[in-house]
This record gives sequence, structure tokens and C-alpha cells, in this order.
Amino acid sequence: MNSVDASEHYELGAPDLSPSLLTIVIDTNPHAWAVLEDSLPLSKAIANILVFINAHLACNYANEVAVVASHSQKAAWLYPSHSEPQYRRADHDGDVTMNGTSDTTTPKTNKYRPFRIVEEQVTRNLKELMDSTTGDDLRGNMSTMLAGALTLALSHINRRTLAWAEEHGGANAEDAAADGNGGGTTSTNRYSASNEDERLQSRILVVSVSGSTDAAHQYIPVMNSIFACQRLSIPIDVCKLSGDAVFLQQASDATKGVYMALAEPRGMLQYLMMAFLPDQRSRRHLVLPTRVDVDFRAACFCHRRVVDVGFVCSICLSIFCEPPPGDDCMTCGSHLDIRDNAKPALLPRKKKKKKRVNGASGTGTPMSTPTPGP
Amino acid sequence: MASATSRPLEYLEGLPGTTFYKLYQQPSTALAIFRRMLPDLAKCFVMAVLYLKDPLPTADLEIWVNSESKKERDNALSILGRLHILSTTLTGENVRAYMITNPFAASLRQALTGAEDSHSFGVFSQAPEHTLTSIANLDEYARRQWEGVMGYMVGTSALSGQRDTVNLSKGVKQLLQAGHLVEIRGNRVDITKDGFGFVLQDVNTQVWHILILYVESAEAIGMDSVEVLSFLFLLSSLELGSSYEKSHMTPNQLRTLTDLADFGIVYQEHADATRFYPTRLATTLTSDSSALSNPVTGSLTGPAGSSGGSGSGFIIIETNYRLYAYTSSPLQISLISLFTNLKYRFPNLVTGKITRQSVRRAIEMGITADQIISYLLSHAHPQLRKHSAAQSSGKGVPASVLPPTVTDQIRLWQLERDRLRATAGFLFKDFTSLAEYQAPCQYAAEIGVLVWKSDRKRMFFVTRHEQVAAFLRSQKFEKQETRSLGVMDTGKHVTKSRPMAFYTAT
Repeated sequence: MNSVDASEHYELGAPDLSPSLLTIVIDTNPHAWAVLEDSLPLSKAIANILVFINAHLACNYANEVAVVASHSQKAAWLYPSHSEPQYRRADHDGDVTMNGTSDTTTPKTNKYRPFRIVEEQVTRNLKELMDSTTGDDLRGNMSTMLAGALTLALSHINRRTLAWAEEHGGANAEDAAADGNGGGTTSTNRYSASNEDERLQSRILVVSVSGSTDAAHQYIPVMNSIFACQRLSIPIDVCKLSGDAVFLQQASDATKGVYMALAEPRGMLQYLMMAFLPDQRSRRHLVLPTRVDVDFRAACFCHRRVVDVGFVCSICLSIFCEPPPGDDCMTCGSHLDIRDNAKPALLPRKKKKKKRVNGASGTGTPMSTPTPGP
Repeated sequence: MASATSRPLEYLEGLPGTTFYKLYQQPSTALAIFRRMLPDLAKCFVMAVLYLKDPLPTADLEIWVNSESKKERDNALSILGRLHILSTTLTGENVRAYMITNPFAASLRQALTGAEDSHSFGVFSQAPEHTLTSIANLDEYARRQWEGVMGYMVGTSALSGQRDTVNLSKGVKQLLQAGHLVEIRGNRVDITKDGFGFVLQDVNTQVWHILILYVESAEAIGMDSVEVLSFLFLLSSLELGSSYEKSHMTPNQLRTLTDLADFGIVYQEHADATRFYPTRLATTLTSDSSALSNPVTGSLTGPAGSSGGSGSGFIIIETNYRLYAYTSSPLQISLISLFTNLKYRFPNLVTGKITRQSVRRAIEMGITADQIISYLLSHAHPQLRKHSAAQSSGKGVPASVLPPTVTDQIRLWQLERDRLRATAGFLFKDFTSLAEYQAPCQYAAEIGVLVWKSDRKRMFFVTRHEQVAAFLRSQKFEKQETRSLGVMDTGKHVTKSRPMAFYTAT
């Protein structure tokens, strides 16, 4: 009669699977793509990424996608297009520009419609972005706006997560409302408390080509985005086509994402399909490539140099490549007692110790990023 | 997978291989089957192999999957095999390897890249739209038609005086009768046990149920079932709110279209119109049931019009078994009254109590506890959901939406009557050695078909035998596996000629 409790008899159907939101950050830095011209030109890479996007959309009816371009002087949306109204906007004469209308009147029906919409918007916006890039923008600017792109991606994910929660269950929406007033603590509840499977599954894929030493001046904002992702358990996957991305290695390591440096960029589609397509649910069952020897170097707060050994403020954990001027921390302003003109023999150990303190808070990265002062 | 998928999946599995070959010629079909019928892991496998030049060696695939997830892997592979999507070949070095069967691979690639010009995804109507049909109108039309069908089954259409009654065509009534959802005795329409189960399901499952019935009956009236099926999958890939040309369609497809319009799955202004609109019932066919829960089921099953944007649920249950339903729809009220003792009725509210008698009465009619619970769950009031989510935050385990005492009690009431459960399947027995018995038994457990086993008697019972038999063959076991009926009646086996059922005594 043990079976009277009936638990064996419930045939619990599998819970409804929530869709996933894939946000792709494409590094469109023209300098870096010029280097890749022979093996994988940008147009081919975009074509591969579009097929990958279609595969993602094919996996579930409600799957969503967003594409951000991290360009040399700005980060811009490729899809969804937030600048849509500008096509219909009347100019000062009151005439309506007719650019956008030609797309809608020529139906190409041999393609599943959601696929076509994404493809058209991405190519159109990318073309606009390239057309708007002038030579002056590129001169003397070798890097890419990764921090801006990650922030755009994160804000989009946040917005979609809230909207989705609101549609699919009342309480989460209320949480969100409370979040506006209450701030910090409730937001983690919203993401982590309810069952992992029950919220929108978001992840970020960074297609990176630029070397990151150029991007050292964005160190702090990039690390802040990474920690935001870590907190919201959004994995950052990195598909590395060229260059060496120190911070992105840390990003995928901290957020348990996939890191892959492509040995053969021409086979990009296969890499994407095999390693980057599975969503968080499937990843539990799969063995996915990660990087073991992660480069944990940080950039200093004073000159944005990537340093192996540096000085760390004992109050706020800011990193400096040389003793700050006047022995005052540039971030928190505390006076630091640097005796004997800073013998580096002691300081590296001090830094290590600080790292461990931070690591103990459960973040898993020995990296300290206090938000810098305004 | 969700229960909603099981029925179309079962139907498709029953089709012969040549039918699959014909079906997979269409990119829209390949896409719909890929999206709707496969578990997550299977989707990953398909996508990983799709653009590979050479077949993927089986060993590589095994390495790719975590060792703890062997069960999921085998389940995914077995479904892919049953749907004729994945096949094994031998590569040059005589290594077993997986590859995607051809019409499917080609079609799926075409769907992803769009490099083809068959009209697989429908043709937009070019004609200027004089009377633009809005999405709201389509939803309203779909709701009215579908509720009409339900009302006909439950027998409420007569008493809903305030509602404009929907004229159901003869075809619809015949289909419902052929599917044994209703029985017609003289002038009266009586709902069957299957019918009760049907009306309590969520809309997506209902639509699939009807469509499968339709495909089955299509053969009987001389239509090609492959043509009808691929047309259904085409419908599921259309876009809500736009109209499509009819001129490219074959006569059979046009005929199907007219029939589906009666159910509210598509809309056309009149039978000779040059274009048609898919309704939400059609466009959400390949979605999970959750994806359509709000906009459609809300307007479909909720009180007509009044609830509007406020979400789908209208039922509140308290832990003391009292039930409050904010609805005035005669259909919903008669559904609720199937398993509830209704007490009071107000203009927009009915209240009642779930009792042992009322649940037993429902179960005697052939309704199961799970159906009652899933009905309550899918129509739970937002307030209930909000409450459960508030409870669950903080704890690791999410609280259930319905009060657990009520759901448990409903199940217990069912168990009072329901002591045996039949499972159709196959008994393997007469193994000569223990080792010989253990290997296939373990394999059956891994692929999830094992129902019962007895180490002492060296017998086990599975729901499907093809793969176990193949396994036995591959293991070079020369034993003839006896496929025979095992009826287990509290420990006693009776062997008969055809495999039919397995009873689990509780």
C-alpha cells in the first residue's frame, strides 16, 4: 500500500520549455576585417551568421534573436531595428522618403518569413552603418566599441526578460515593478529565484576579431558588463576569429560560456552550429569547448595598460600600474602609505591576497572591479 | 516532451518510410517537423550534422554528450531514427557514423538558406486589400468557430441564447463522429469518453487532435494524406494577419482549405475568394503550448470579449476545494460542471465546490484526474499564479499554481477507482542466461521503453520492440525474442498470440 501516496502515478508532462533569446554582438571593426579579407571576408561571415540565426529561430517557435554591431566608433543595433521610423519620417518639405517601402512590396515567398525579416534588417542596417563610416572615423581608431555593444545587449535582454515574464506569469511582473523602487536585491530574485527553466533563456554570443589590447581603455565598462552577466547568469559565448581577446576569455570563463578561437575561419558555420547553437538547457547534456588557460590579466585604472603585476588600493581594490600621484588612490581618494617608494617585491603578493578576498564572494573570478567614481 | 506533442508524433511514427520520403520534399514540412517533434538535444544533433560534409562517427557523438546524459541522448537518437531523420552508415574506414537522411537534410538546408523557389512558404496575396482583415477579427473568428465546435460536442449551443450560433458544416460533424468524439443517437448528440478528454485539453492539443483525425479521414475520401499533411505544415509556417494567394493550390489543397475554415483554422471571406488568412490556430501549430497560451487561449476559452487583454485565467481554487470561475461562457460553465458541484451563478461568476462525488462522477464518465488538473492549471487565474510565484521566490522549489492538497486529493479520488493501468507493448522472455537477459534489459531502460522487468523470471516488458530487437541482433544474440502478449494480473503471466497490454496493479 505504499503506492497510496500516488506519486508514482502522476505522469507529469515535461514543463513547457521557455524560449531562448540569443543576442549576437558582431565586431565590425574594419581594420580587423581587412586583415581577415583573404580567409573570411565580412560578407561571408555575415552570411554564415545569418544561417546560424535561422537555425536558432528554427529551434523553437518563440525563440528570439537580437544583433548588435560593435563598430569602430559606436555600437549600433542591426536587429531589431530601433530606428525604423526614420524610413517613414517626412523630411522638412513634408515628403515621405520611400526607401523602406520597396522591401515590403516585393514578396520573396520562398523563405520562411521570420528568417527573411531578420536577414533584410541585418543587411540593410549593416550597409547603412558601413556607409556612414568615414575615413576620419577610422584614422587613429583601431579598436571596437565592445563595452557599448555589451551594454546594449544587456539592456535588451533585460527588457525582453521583463516583458516575457509579464506575459507568462503575474508575479514576476510585480517583482519587476518592485524592482523599480527597491533596487538591487529584488532584481536577483527575479532572475534566480524561480526555476531556471521558467524564464526567458538569454545568452550573448560575441563574434570577435579585434585584438583586445586596443580595447584596454574600455576595461572597466567591459568588466562591469561581464559581472552583470555573471549575476544574471547569462553566458557570454565567444567566437574568436583573429587577434587575442584577454577580457573576452575572462568573460566566457566568468559566465560559464563557450570560448572558441577558430583555427580555420572558413569553417565558421560548422563551428557555430556545433558549439554555439545549443541553448542552456541542452548544454547540460553536452561537453562544450571552454578555455582552460584563461588569461586573467587586468588593465590598470590609471593608464589602461594591461598589466601582469601592479599596485592595488587596499580600500577599493583599484589597480594601478605605478604608484598613483601623491599616493592618493584615484578612485576612492584614500591616502595610501607607499613606503620606500614602492618595492614591487611585496606588492604582488598583496595583490594576490586581495584577489582571494574578492573570489570568496562567490564570483569565481579573481578580478576586482569596483565601479570607478564619476 | 510535453504531452501535447505525443499524438502527432505517434501518428507520424506510424507512417511508412516512403511517406516520409515524400513529406520531406517540402522545406516547410522539414522545418515544422524539426521544430515541433524533436526534443532539444535531437535538434542540436541535427544542426551539428546538417552542414558536415562527412557523416559524424558514432563515437564522436558519444564523446560530445555528457556521460550522465546517456538516457537523453539515446532518447533523442531513437526519436530521430523513428522519424527517419538520422540514419547510420559506414564510412570509408568502416566506422559507424550518423548522417541525416537526404530529402530531410536538403529541405532543411533550403529552409534555412532560402535557396529554392517552390512556393513552400505560401504566396502573399498581391491584390490590393479592400477589406483588410485585422488580427483581432481573425482571433474573434477563430474563437467563435472553435467554441462552436466545442459547444456542439458538449451540447451547449442550444442553450446559449444570447450567442449567435455557429453553423457547423456536415463535414465537421462527420469528422467528430468518425473520431469517436461524439455519438449521434437519432437527433441527439452524445459526447463520448474520448470527447470528454478532448474538450478538457488545451487548444493546441485539440487542434492537433482534430487535424490528425482529418488526415486519417482524408484517405477515405480519396485525398492523398501526404498532400494534406504537407499542406498542414505549410499552414503552420504562414504569418498571422496577412493574406495568401489561392491560385497556386491544387484542388485537394483548396478542398482542405474549405474544410479547415469550418474549424476556424483558416479564414476566407467566402468559398470563392481568391485569398485566405491563416488564423492564430494555424500559425501557432508548431509552437509549444505555452507560446500561444496568452493571446489565443485567453480569447478562445476565456469569457468572450469581456476578459480581453487581462490574461487567460479565470478560475480560482482555494485549499478548501471551493472553486470560483469568473466566466459567463456557457461552454466553460458546462465544462466546469463536469467535475464540480456548482452552487451559485452570478452574471460574471460561478462558484462551486470540488467534492469526492463530483470527481468520481467525472471519472466515471471517462475523464481522468490529470485532465481535470491540467484544465484547472491552464485556466488558473493570474491571481493564483502570482500567489504561487510569490511563494516560490526565496525557496528553491517553485510552488505549484494550484493548491497541492486539491490536486493530490483529486488524484487520490481517482485512485480509489482506478487500480489497474494498461500499457500496450511487448514481452521479452525465455532468455537462457542471466547475462543475455541483462544487456537488452538495461538497453531498454536506457532508451526509456522499459515498463517492467523481473530478474528472477528473466522477462521484461517494453512499449516498443523494434530497437530492442535491433539491439539483440547487433549483440549477436541468436535467441528468438518472443514477442507475445504479457498480461500481468497481480503477478501471473498469461501468454497469448498478439502483444496488447500490460496491466500494472497498484
